[in-house]
Amino acid sequence: MDQQSLVSLILILLTFALYIGISVYNRAKVTSDFYVASRGIPPFWNGMAIGGDWMSAASFIGMAGTVMILGYDGLAYIMGWTGGYLLLTFLLAPQLRKYGRFTVPEFIGDRFDSNPARLIAAIATIIISFTYIIGQLSGSGVVIGRLLNLPASTGVMIGVVVIAIYASLGGMKGVTWTQVAQYMILITAYIVPIVFLSLQISGNPLPWLTYGNVVNELGALDRELGISEYFAPFEEGNRAQFLALLFTLMVGTAALPHVIVRFYTVTTMKAARWSGAWALLFIALLYLSAPAYAAFSRFVIMTQVVGSPIDDLPAWTEPWLNTGLLEIADSDGDGVLAWEDLVIHQDIVVMATPEIANLGMFVVGLVAAGAMAAALSTAGGLLITISSSFAHDIYYRLMKPDATDSNRLLAGRVAIVLSTIAAGLVALDPPGVITQIIAWAFALAGGTFFPVLFLGVWWKRMNRQGAIAGMLGGLTVTLTYIFLSMGGVSFFGIQDTGAGVFGVTANLLLVIIVSLMTPPPEQRLQDEAVDLRYPEQMTYKDGEVWMNDEQAK
Amino acid sequence: MQKVEKKVADQYFKIRTTLVVVFLIIGFSVSFGVAFFAEAINESGAMIMGMPAHYYMGAQGAVVTFVILLFLNAIISDQVDKKFGIDEKQNVKISGGGADH
Repeated sequence: MDQQSLVSLILILLTFALYIGISVYNRAKVTSDFYVASRGIPPFWNGMAIGGDWMSAASFIGMAGTVMILGYDGLAYIMGWTGGYLLLTFLLAPQLRKYGRFTVPEFIGDRFDSNPARLIAAIATIIISFTYIIGQLSGSGVVIGRLLNLPASTGVMIGVVVIAIYASLGGMKGVTWTQVAQYMILITAYIVPIVFLSLQISGNPLPWLTYGNVVNELGALDRELGISEYFAPFEEGNRAQFLALLFTLMVGTAALPHVIVRFYTVTTMKAARWSGAWALLFIALLYLSAPAYAAFSRFVIMTQVVGSPIDDLPAWTEPWLNTGLLEIADSDGDGVLAWEDLVIHQDIVVMATPEIANLGMFVVGLVAAGAMAAALSTAGGLLITISSSFAHDIYYRLMKPDATDSNRLLAGRVAIVLSTIAAGLVALDPPGVITQIIAWAFALAGGTFFPVLFLGVWWKRMNRQGAIAGMLGGLTVTLTYIFLSMGGVSFFGIQDTGAGVFGVTANLLLVIIVSLMTPPPEQRLQDEAVDLRYPEQMTYKDGEVWMNDEQAK
Repeated sequence: MQKVEKKVADQYFKIRTTLVVVFLIIGFSVSFGVAFFAEAINESGAMIMGMPAHYYMGAQGAVVTFVILLFLNAIISDQVDKKFGIDEKQNVKISGGGADH
């Protein structure tokens, strides 16, 4: 093992020890610790935990590369994955918090008083979260494998064992505080390299202020080469695809069960609003940095790497050429590397940049630990969500409503260990391209859940028939469109990644039409929906609003 | 327990909903709106912070606007709650921390 691998390995092991230590300290003792961290997480820290939960291996490793390669078209990911928090915080999170349940399927089951709806929602949650976690595990396997020179499968197994230990021990309470630690590690690991790059290129340590000129210069370089400018819109697709992808990502973000459940861990509606604001601030730190990362990397490659003789390339290129993520072909045969000769895979941008810019072993190791933190924090949140669907929604609410608290806690722990192993086994040999599967998870989450949650919160007339028709119809339309567009059939040039537009529309229409064609829900259920309009202190009962003004203790 | 006038309760809901609608319209205009006209903006040659305006809005402008909107929402909603006499301590007590179901 060379010196670089040793430094990376030590940093990663130190962070693993930290995560396990945190969850031992925050062990879950009752089910409410295990699923919602006793609803006592302060908004600022919950915001940070949402940041860790949200930003996955795809955000950390892949996004800067996506923006670099797609140019303007890659910005749909930046806007979509942040804009979802507007929909979530304005339209769903505070109301779902006031309703006060443990999981998303539980809200759907109780709000419409329907066990079939609960079961459909639980199964959809498991499918969506499982798809997502496979991406995390196989992503972390690749990172660990590359940085430590191990096979990717060994990397996956290491990740699986660590997550299974700390998630089953700490439950949501332990996962919350490990996510806080993981956020801090990943954001440091992301920002340190671009601060150095910004200093190297412009002499100013604030990359967010300096990369504008770099973007403009990239446009000029592209014009010289006769290729379309870096910032030219819709070069990789058309406008309809850009808008459809943006919509799918936004709505999917607002409807992902593992994100929504984080809003259950705070005390009140007010705390949910503040959580959303803090969360987006912490997330924005990384998302605002990704385009800077992309611009600097492309600039360094175009000005310093391009033009070198093909048989004397910089040392950092060699390991990447070996992995196949970087390809070089001297197309015009003049022995000099041209921009057109390079085929760069999006996933190498973040990881190779510290090497390209010679930032030293510690920074390279830090980026490895950061990538691992991003994968583990998201996987931890997903595992809690999967296990709660099994142990809480299906086992406790549907099969054994009389189970004791300690039995439910045990069921939750068993479900986590089993789902980690199952996900790890699938991730050893992942089906299809990972980024694509993750994009489908967004289309499925939006298409299945968003309209049902949105109207369930805001429209008292919505009933169980509407909810069931909406979920099943949205799921079917989304899946059908994904398969159609994979087979070459598409409408308005929208690709499979934008399938959410059709799923969400079908879901919304079905909920409205079917609800209106069937009898209205019981008065009790309608009252519960109206009650969500007001803060906790106000209660809606029999057409009147009551203020609870007894002295708070 | 004290009854709240229907007019007052409706007004609370109306203020909160109006806020949400206004914020969402702003949020959609800086993202979907700018992307819809991206080609025209690119041709116009408008620049923000040294880069073409449509690129700036996608890479920074929209995200910064979203963050500002969420903080404005949190701050203004707190003031609305205060105006209607909502006491956050009561809210915490009523929501009951780890209330089980």
